[in-house]
Formats: sequence, structure tokens, C-alpha cells
Amino acid sequence: MDIPHTPSPDDRQRPSRRGFLALGAAAGAATALGGLPAFSASASPPRPTESPSLSPADAARNQLWWQAPGSPGSMIEQGLPVGNGRLGALASNDPAAELLLITDATLWTGGLNDTLQSDGQFPYGRDDFGSFTLLAELTVALPDHDLGRVHNYRRTLDLAQGLVTTSYDLSGVTYRRQIFASRPDDAIVLHFSQRGGGAYTGTLSLAGTHAESTSANSAQCFASFGASFANGLKYGAAVTARSSTGTVRVRGTSITFSGCQDLTVVVSGGTNYAPDATAGFRNPSLEPERLARTKVLDAAGHSATSLLRTHVADFRAVFGQLGIDLGASSAAQRELDTWERVRARDRDNVPDPELEAAYLQFGRYLMISGSRGGLPLNLQGLWLDGNDPDWMGDYHTDINIQMNYWLADRAGLSDCFDAFADYCLAQLPSWTDVTRRLFNSPANRYRNSGGEIAGWTVAISTNPYGGGGWWWHPAGNAWLCQNLFEHYEYTQDRAYLSKIYPLLKGAVEFWEARLLTTTVTDASGASREVLIADSDWSPEHGPLDAKGITYAQELVWNLFDNYRATTETLGRDTGYGRTVDRLRERLYLPVVSPKTGWLEEWMSPDNLGETTHRHLSPLVGLFPGDRIRPDGSTPKEIVDGATALLDARGMNSFGWANAWRGLCWARLKDAEKAYQLIVNNLKPSANGGNGSAMNLFDIYEVEQGRGIFQIDANFGTAAAIIEMLVYSRPGHVELLPALPAAWAASGSVSGVGVRGGFVADVSWKNGKVTRATLKSVGGRGTTVVAGGTTREIGLKPGESVTLRNLG
Amino acid sequence: MRSSSYPAPPAARTGSARRTMRAMLVLAVTAGLATAVPAAEATSPARDTAAAASTATADTASDVAAKPFMGWSSWSMQSSKYPGLNPDGEYSYLTEANVLKQTDALASKLKKYGYDRVNIDAGWWRDNDWKPGFDPYGRQTNDPVRFPRGMKPVADHIHSKGLKAGIYLPVGLEKEAYGDGKVPVWNAPGCTTADIVHPDLRTTNGWDSSYKLDFADPCAQKYIDSQAQLFADWGYDFLKLDGVGPGSFKSGDNYDNVADVAAWQKAIAATGRPIHLQLSWSLDIGHAADWKRYSNGWRIDTDIECYCNTLVTWENSVNDRWDDAPAWSDKAGPGGWNDFDAIDVGNGEMDGLTKAERQSYMTLWAISKSPLYTGDDLTRLDSYGVSLLTNREVIAVDQSDSPVARPVTPMGDQQVWGTRNADGSYTVALFNLGDSPASVTAHWASFGFTGNASVRDLWNKENLGPHKNKITAALPAHGSRLFTVKPGGEALPTTGYEAESAANTLTGNASLAGCDACSGGKKVGNLYTGGKLTFNDITVQKDGIYTVRVAYVSGDARSVTVSSNSGNGSSLKFPSTGDWGTAKTVSVQLALKAGSNTITFDSGSGYAPDLDRIDVPRSV
Repeated sequence: MDIPHTPSPDDRQRPSRRGFLALGAAAGAATALGGLPAFSASASPPRPTESPSLSPADAARNQLWWQAPGSPGSMIEQGLPVGNGRLGALASNDPAAELLLITDATLWTGGLNDTLQSDGQFPYGRDDFGSFTLLAELTVALPDHDLGRVHNYRRTLDLAQGLVTTSYDLSGVTYRRQIFASRPDDAIVLHFSQRGGGAYTGTLSLAGTHAESTSANSAQCFASFGASFANGLKYGAAVTARSSTGTVRVRGTSITFSGCQDLTVVVSGGTNYAPDATAGFRNPSLEPERLARTKVLDAAGHSATSLLRTHVADFRAVFGQLGIDLGASSAAQRELDTWERVRARDRDNVPDPELEAAYLQFGRYLMISGSRGGLPLNLQGLWLDGNDPDWMGDYHTDINIQMNYWLADRAGLSDCFDAFADYCLAQLPSWTDVTRRLFNSPANRYRNSGGEIAGWTVAISTNPYGGGGWWWHPAGNAWLCQNLFEHYEYTQDRAYLSKIYPLLKGAVEFWEARLLTTTVTDASGASREVLIADSDWSPEHGPLDAKGITYAQELVWNLFDNYRATTETLGRDTGYGRTVDRLRERLYLPVVSPKTGWLEEWMSPDNLGETTHRHLSPLVGLFPGDRIRPDGSTPKEIVDGATALLDARGMNSFGWANAWRGLCWARLKDAEKAYQLIVNNLKPSANGGNGSAMNLFDIYEVEQGRGIFQIDANFGTAAAIIEMLVYSRPGHVELLPALPAAWAASGSVSGVGVRGGFVADVSWKNGKVTRATLKSVGGRGTTVVAGGTTREIGLKPGESVTLRNLG
Repeated sequence: MRSSSYPAPPAARTGSARRTMRAMLVLAVTAGLATAVPAAEATSPARDTAAAASTATADTASDVAAKPFMGWSSWSMQSSKYPGLNPDGEYSYLTEANVLKQTDALASKLKKYGYDRVNIDAGWWRDNDWKPGFDPYGRQTNDPVRFPRGMKPVADHIHSKGLKAGIYLPVGLEKEAYGDGKVPVWNAPGCTTADIVHPDLRTTNGWDSSYKLDFADPCAQKYIDSQAQLFADWGYDFLKLDGVGPGSFKSGDNYDNVADVAAWQKAIAATGRPIHLQLSWSLDIGHAADWKRYSNGWRIDTDIECYCNTLVTWENSVNDRWDDAPAWSDKAGPGGWNDFDAIDVGNGEMDGLTKAERQSYMTLWAISKSPLYTGDDLTRLDSYGVSLLTNREVIAVDQSDSPVARPVTPMGDQQVWGTRNADGSYTVALFNLGDSPASVTAHWASFGFTGNASVRDLWNKENLGPHKNKITAALPAHGSRLFTVKPGGEALPTTGYEAESAANTLTGNASLAGCDACSGGKKVGNLYTGGKLTFNDITVQKDGIYTVRVAYVSGDARSVTVSSNSGNGSSLKFPSTGDWGTAKTVSVQLALKAGSNTITFDSGSGYAPDLDRIDVPRSV
């Protein structure tokens, strides 16, 4: 029976979600669209008067923990990440030497990079294109707290409250430190406390990583530095400390403290980056070092308790929008710390549903910490352990940035998507300008052979200054638009759709100017005229310039389809929308190779690339697109060809490639294959090998023995977990499309975004949906499929319906 | 020898003793009584052998090497390029003035903790250009610049401080002492150097710096007698015989110095002075019985010193000892000890080690009952160094009657070692050999007990109270913990499964073989390149992660992938058991489900240890 209702109190996750939202609203936390500009002055946030903290038992459901600190030499694998969406840090949690590697998402070298190389492609260096770099290192030295002397060491990453806590016993005293990156206070706070009569004595040092000089101010007790890059970007950071007991004072360029029963350290910093192409991406009036001082001194005027409450209220409100339970793990598994658990999961091959659910929540934690206003998550999210990240820590537009944002709407983090949309909008003037001036340069093998140019596109790599790096990537614009439009499908937010409209239209115009007309002969022998993409490279293998690659054909098909829908929704350019839709109908679409049985990647029956290549470019129509559907609406041979190709690509790739495979298998409803790919990414990384690091960052073995962090897998794998539980496209929702045996016994998920404008809560037992609730966030009707049952529901925005006896 | 998979069965004498003991244990397990297999019992036959060896040396002096010796040695500072140590060229640190300075410092700072040896190492008869000096009888004589008053006054001074004096020689007749074969041998009328070596002047020792002695001619023994008498006359209490083979990176007949060592034992006995005879370096474990029979200690490894700007470094070669020690665990005992080389932990800056590394260094030496002789500048010990060298509880571990500790986990970055003490407690060491901090857990089940046990932290001198089933500690990179663990008395009920059981599945080349040291007298071997042993029907009461004890035989360290049910398992390196006739035990962690399970040992693409049996807790 279908009963519209409000959530019942016996639902484990739903009430808490409501509670969190109310909490966030009470705290005045900004969770609405449109975040802060990069680094700016802000009014003092409202302070919760009551503790918003979870009870220890509730908090434990979303905690990762370890029994040893991180090494300063392995911070990417072992540091624990915190972030307020802009300002991030990796913390070592060593008792004797807390180390924070601090980042600001906007601290980039490089610039517009609009002088092409002789081959018509972009330079790709740290000076011209630029690189994401570290802002500062903060160390808190406590020489008496040598790790060799402490007992019961434990550090915890509290995903729900955005909190890193370290505790240990030393000489009869229990010491505890909490680290959090507060969005309301725009600062990172370290609070040192103890129980049992202990005190802290040590030194606090703030240092830049680009040879800056730190100075300190005795009167106000802060240390700070400021500097600028060759590209003119100004940046700075500041730290201060307070204690209710003992002495805290400046000595040289450091802050020393002694006999402090408690200690609160506040650090902040930023740049004068502005997301505005017309201003050259700078805010000339902003003095980052001065602003950083103001922020840390303002925050330090409040108690650590008040700062913590303000932060937790803000963080919980966002985190609480999705809850997941994939089943109970064993007592033995629960007894293990996170790293032991990851290793045991691999060794014993015994499912650990709580660990697997925690992996999803960790992905959400990273997104909340790294994508709230400001710049979007790059290849390393917001976290660095040096100034030479591979591929510059940039935005890769041929899978990586797209994958970063597949999770957001699915996992109750629609607001985190804004950073991505705002980035594209801010870059659009430069992307348009560079495309029009340079794309058709004669040296560019990917230029429009017809000589026309319109709209915009991007390079494979993009930076925050409107610049591209490496090679031109014509279809990148269509793929960015695919993500951008899908966000509308989830949220049904017309204001947002209007905002991104110029991006969609510019991409459409680019393709209208680029498509070529050619004649193909079908299997039946009939010939027909079709539109194909000009010379391009199917990422990142095979022929360098092939026409009509499946990747481009599918993405452009999707772009044109979405554009038509947009014009109708907004009532803008509807005539042009119909024109574009007619172009879509003429687009060549891939066929199945009679030689390989695979969906063709190139307009050729031959396998022109690497069979097990990491990219699934020819399957973009399966995922993230859904032109290819295993539900009878797509010709069986196309589905079979896509399946055969996916099969041939194999199950043993790395991070994001496994995640993408998992998402595709979920779409094909092969639950066990999808699950296996999640398990593959949970494999512990050893000696730089592929898999999960101790801190669950995904590691890609870029060369023998050298693993690097690529955050996309953390998000893509988490997205796959959701995609196995809920599939949606506008007007169609399928519950538990690919539920693996490991999670089948019982479970639930709440707060899952549904394309078409709904949020779904689903509970199951023995593989069958026992109860599902859909709430409209703008959607009015959809088909709901579960097991063998199909229901049609109709709702007004704000209403919800609960379905039982499904399947 | 060390690498053969299938050696001949060991001597029946040892084998029968072990078989009897094993049979008793099996009986006990079946009866559900004493189900723990204490580490002490596992090594008891070796102790018998060690006792026999000490009887052999008892002729010389019953108390020589009753315990691992403690003291100071000159070589670490001689060999270092640390600024200022060797101002007159390489190895020039060795002078009377420096030896006496260190003697006085040892007496005043460390003697009360048991450090009572001052050992003069190589070079006392060589000038600063390393040119040797000999007396008219071809015996090494003091370099007049280094030791202007000769060697006896040095020993006298050492004795005056209540300490014992040690001296050094390379094995064989040093080439420069040969003198065209015409040099007479002291107190051996008619004997000259031509008589004591082979006519072809074949060379010997680790540097080929000596002519090999030919003991077929009695003059050779006389030459050794003459050297021993000289040292006895000077009043030395200790001799390090260096470059000894097989060992010292040499093998083959020319480098077999067993006869030299035997001759030295005989010569020392003849002097009537108890002189401790120590052998160096990297002695061949295949000759362990010879070294035990004729000497009081043997270096199991290469030099600890780095010959660099510090005394040692972690990588070169402190950390080698964790890999190399297990093979020797049964070889040591009263009368003769495994010598891990100098313990240079007294001054962090000069040592070239972190605090954590220094503590781990001292910990391994202590649990292994290695001699504890520092090569540090005793006049410049730092306070942390003093705390390491003078921790009486740790020294007591080294000097105790407990068997030498062994790893109870496979080798790897995180290791647990332990041994059972006479009072029923266990000495348990945790090590993190990795380059990052890591937690290390000792499961009581690895030692055969369960429940609560009280834990004493020896380095931090703290009682940590009762710990249930295990203890976990956060260790710094290259760090350690050292505990005394007193079980609360709960034995761990286990079920034993023999490798040779007909219920098991053997794959590939895997096959049964006799094994006197093994329970049931059999084992499964030939586990190589795909060879696999699966224990079927392992039954437990509850789902959980179990500590499974694996008894195995492996003459060298070998890896095997251990898995349960459909698990991927993990590749684990089992430490050497010393030879192919000795069984030892390590513990592995595996998930088992209530009811029936399989446990598989897969050699993969390599060579795995031979397997004796596994003991699985009945429940968790």
C-alpha cells in the first residue's frame, strides 16, 4: 500500500537527518546554494548555546580509528584529512610532534597559459600551466610526549562531526587533542586537553613551504607570513594560541607554551584568488596575511568549546543528510582498527558491511571537507604532502573531475556540487576566449577541419585561471555539461539551470560548428548520412585523431538531448533547442563490432587500443549516461556489446578505473561484479601498490613502488555503492538494482538523491525491499521498480510517500 | 646446507628426545589438560645440547660465559669516521690512553650494572699505517706508539678497576710473521714457522691475511700455545679470534678454521688461566656445534659498524639482526652465546640512530641474550643512552636463565618476539621495523594462554595492569616495547591438526616426509612452485579471527601464503628454525567461521617451509 506520510519515529536514520537539518538551521550554517568566495572577511557566526555533539555511541557508528600516528614522511597515506571546503590539512597526530600540512584550494602557480606549443597543444608545466601547492606546515612540538612512552594511543576520524581526536596515556595522565577545520570560523582549530593533572609544554611553529619568512607578534601572540607567487597571487597564513593556565608567548618566530593544562591553537590562511576572469582571478584589495591574522585572533577570542560546537553544528547538518547500513559486521571485525580491518577484509575475503558502509561515508566526509564553495575538488581533493603533485593536482576533464562529482547528488550532498558548477561558470569567459582564439590554430590536430569555431571547450587539464594544459579535449565540454545537467535532474532547481545555461549553450554551439557530415553503410547494406565528431583521441589510448569516436558521439548526443530539455524547461531558445535535437537525431551512434563482439570505441570493427585500458570512454552511454539501458528499451545487441566490452576491460585495474567499472556493472545489474570492484579498491595498498592507504585515501601505483593519491576513486567507489542500491533517471527509479549477497541480509539507506527530483529512503531484508520512502524535492511523478513490482507515484514538492510490499 | 629442502634426518639422539616430548604434548592436548605449548619446552632439547657444550668448555673454567658478557669494545670508535675519533688515520683511536680513559669511565658509570669487560680489538700490534709488529717468535707484539708500555700494564690497570681485560687476534699465521719460514716457535724446540703452515702457503681467514695453519704438524699447536701463554702472562681474560671460517664471508677447506678454534681452546686450557674465547664474524651456522664445543661465543652476523660518519646506522647493519637471529636461537646457552656485536646505543648523535632505534637495538640484544658490549665513547654518554644501558630490568632479561626469545609472528615490518620465563611469565617484545609508526599487537594466544594477564613495561618501568587476550602498542618507526607478561592462568583450549593427516589435501609436489622433530614424526614438505597443503575440516565454535599456531621446519627463512576458506590470504615469511631438523612455531591470524573451515598453505611461485602441524583455538 502506498501511504503518503511524514517520517515515522521508528525509522533509524530519517529522524536524525531531520534533526541535523534543524540543527544546522539553528546554527545559521550556510548550506544554501552559492558558497563564499575564496578567502574573505566574514561576520562572526552564530554560536550554538547547546552542545550539538553526538553521543559517543551515535558517533561511533561513523568513526574510523587507528592505533598509531602517521609518519611525517608518509602523510598522504597516513595523515588524517580535515577541511572546511577551502582550507584543508593532513594531520600526523604524533603525540610529540603534531604536524599539519595545510592547503588552500586556490594556492596555485601558473596562469592563463594561452601560448600554444608548436604542435598546437598546451604547455603543461608548474610555471606556465601551474600547480596546486601547499600553503603551510604547522608543528606543535611536545618533546616530553615521545611515542615510545605513551600507552593506549588511539586516533579517531569522526566522519559525522568532522573531527580528528587523538588520545593517549602518559605517566598516569590521559591527554587528548581535537583537530577540526571550521567553516563558520574559517580556521583550523587544535584543542589540547588532559585529564589527570597533566600539562603541555612545547613549541608551536608555522612555516611556509615556498621559502617564506615567518614573523611573530608578542603583543597579540601570533605568528604569520605572507608572500606572493610570480603569477602575482598573494597568500598568507597566521597562527595563534591561548591557554587558560600556564604561559603562552612568542619566542623568536615561534610560539612557546609551558605548564598549560589546556591549549587552543587556531590557524588560518588563504590567497587573494577571486573566481572572476574579468578581474584576472585576483582580488587586489585583499591582504591574505592580514586577513589570516584577523581570522585567527577573532576565533581565538572564543572558547575551544564554543568553536567546536559551532563547527559540529555546521558539519553534522551536512553529513547527516545520508545514512547507510549495509548490515552488521562481526564482533571480531569491530575489534580491529580501520587499517587492521582493511587488511583483514582482503586477507580473509569475509565481507565487512560496516567497513564498506564507512568507505562510502568517508567519501562523503572528503566531499564535505573539500567542496563547499570556492574551488572544486581536484585530483587530490584538497590535500597535499608536497609541492609537486602528479599532474599538478589539477582538474582532469576526461574522467577525474566528473567522477569527483558523481557522488554529490546521489549521496545527499547536492550543495557540495556548487563548487564544481561555480568553477565552470567562472572559467567560462576564459575557456570561450581561448577556444575562439586558439582552437582552430593550424597546428592543432583536433581543430575543426571545416574552419568554423563557436562556443567553448577545454583541454584535458584545466587550472583555476582559465588555462588549459596538455592536449585539447574537444568532448570535455560535453562531459562537463553532462555532470552539470544531471545536478539539475536531481534538484529540479530552475535557478541553477538558468545559471549554467550559458555553459550548455556554448558547448552546443561548439559542436554545431564542429560536426562533420559523412555517409555510413549499415549492416543491412543501406547507406545513410550521419553527423560525426571531427578528429579526436578516445581517452587515453588508440589512434590520436579518429573521427566519430564513440566517446564524443555519446557525449554530444547527451549534450544535445539535455540542451533541448533545458530550452523547454526555461522557455529560452526553444527553436534552437529543436534544431539541436534534430542534429542529435542525425548523430552516428556506435555499433557492435562483428569482429570482437564489443561496442565499437572507434568507427572500426578492429580493436585499435588496449584491451584492458583503464578508461571506459566508449561506455559513457552506459555510465554516467543512460542511453544504453538493460531494460529492453535499448536493443539487446547494443547492451550485449557494451557488456562484452566491459567484460574485456577486466576487473583488475586501479582506483577510479575500478570505480567506473563498478558503476557500469551496477547499471548492468551484476551485483557481484560491482561488489568485487569495490572490494578491489578496498584492498590495502602495500609499497605504493594500488588500493586503499591506511587513511583510506585511494592510491594509484603510477610506477613500480611509487603510489600516489587520486581522490576520484574515493568518490567513484562511494558512488558505485549508491548506484548498486538505487538507480534513477527522470521518471524511473529502481530500488536495489544490484544488491550483492554481502549486503543482502538486511540494511537501509536514507537520503539518496533520485534524478527527477526525489530523495529516497530504502530498507531491505533478505534482498527484498521492505519499505521505501520517496520525498519530492521538486519531482511530481515517477515509476518505482523493485524486485518484480512496478509502482507509479505522484507527489507534490515537499510531499513524501512510503511504499511497502514491494517485490 | 642452509637452503636444502630435504636434508638427511638429524642425529637420532636429538630426534628421539623431541619425539618423546611431542608425544607427551599431544597426549596433553587430547586430554584437554596442559594445552599451552610453552616456548620454553619447545627449546628444551636445545638447552640440553647447550648444557652438553658447556660441559665441554668447563675444563677451562666453569664460570666462563655462564652468562652473556657485558662491557666495552674499542672497534666501533676505531672504525668510525666520526669527526675527531681517529685523528692519526684509520683505526688510530686504539691507544693506551684511550683504552684507559674508557676503562675508567666503564668502572665509574657502568660497572655496577654488570659491564666489566674492556676489550681491545684489532690493531694493538699494528702502527697507524696498519703495519704489524712481531716478537722474535712470530707473535704479535704491541705497537710502541699505541701502547708504549706494552700490553700487560694495560691489563693491570683494567684489573685494578675490578674489570676484565680482552684482546684480539686474527686466525692463522699472519703473513708478515712468516719470516721465510725461519722464525722459531716459542717454547717449541725445532719448530719454525715453515713447520706450522702448508708448504703451498695457502691463505686463510676473512681477509686472506694469514697462512692457514697445518695442525698435522704438532708445531702448529705449539704456536697457538705460545700465543695463548703470552696473553695469559699479560693477564688477559678474553680473546676475540677474528676472520674465522667457515664464516667471515668465506667457505671451503682453506677457510675452515675449526681446528684453529679447537687448538685455541686447548691452548687456553693449558695456560691454566680462564680466558673467554670469542669467534668472529658471520660464523657458519652449519658449524654451530663446533663453535659451541670449542668457544664461548660467536658472532652470528657481519660487523654492526657502518664505517661511516657515525658508529652505526640502522640500515647498515643494525636491522639485519632481526632477520638473522632466529636461526641461531637454539644455539646459545650457558658457556656459549650468540654474539650480535657491539651495542652502540649510548650517544644518539655519535651512534647515528634515533631514540627508537637505540631502544629496539638494546631490546633485541637483551631478549636474544647477546653479549652486551658497547662501542660507545663512555665519556660522552647522553642521558637517554645511560637510561638504555643501565635499565636493570632489561639487563636482567639478557642475563636471565630464560631461553633465547624467538619471533612468535612471521617476519615483516611488525613483529612480536617472546620467550617463557622460569616463573611462568613471558618476556614479550614488540618491534616495528617499518619506516612509519605502527601499532603492534601481541596476542596471548601466540604463547598458548588466554584471558587476563598483567603487563609490566620494562623500558618505561610501569605496570600497565591487566590486559585481556592481547596488548597493542603504538610504536615509532623502528621502535619497540619490552614487556613482562604474567598470565592469569587460563590455558587456551586448542585442537591440533597434523600436516600428515589423511584428511588434508596435498597439491602439486607436496608430499609427506619423516621428521623426528615433528609431532607425529611426520611433516609435509616439497612445498614449492605451486605445492600446497590444505587442512580440511578445521572446526571452531564461533565466527571470529583466530590466532593459529603453525609448527614448521625451515632451515632458512621462507614465505608461504596462508589463507582460510575463500580468503586471499597473506604471504608470510617464517623465520628459520636453524636447520632442517628443528621444528618451531609462529602464529598467524585467520578468520574462521563457526563449523567447518579450511586452512591452506600455498607455496605460490617460491619455496615454502615444511609443515608439521597447526593448533587452532576451539573458540574465540
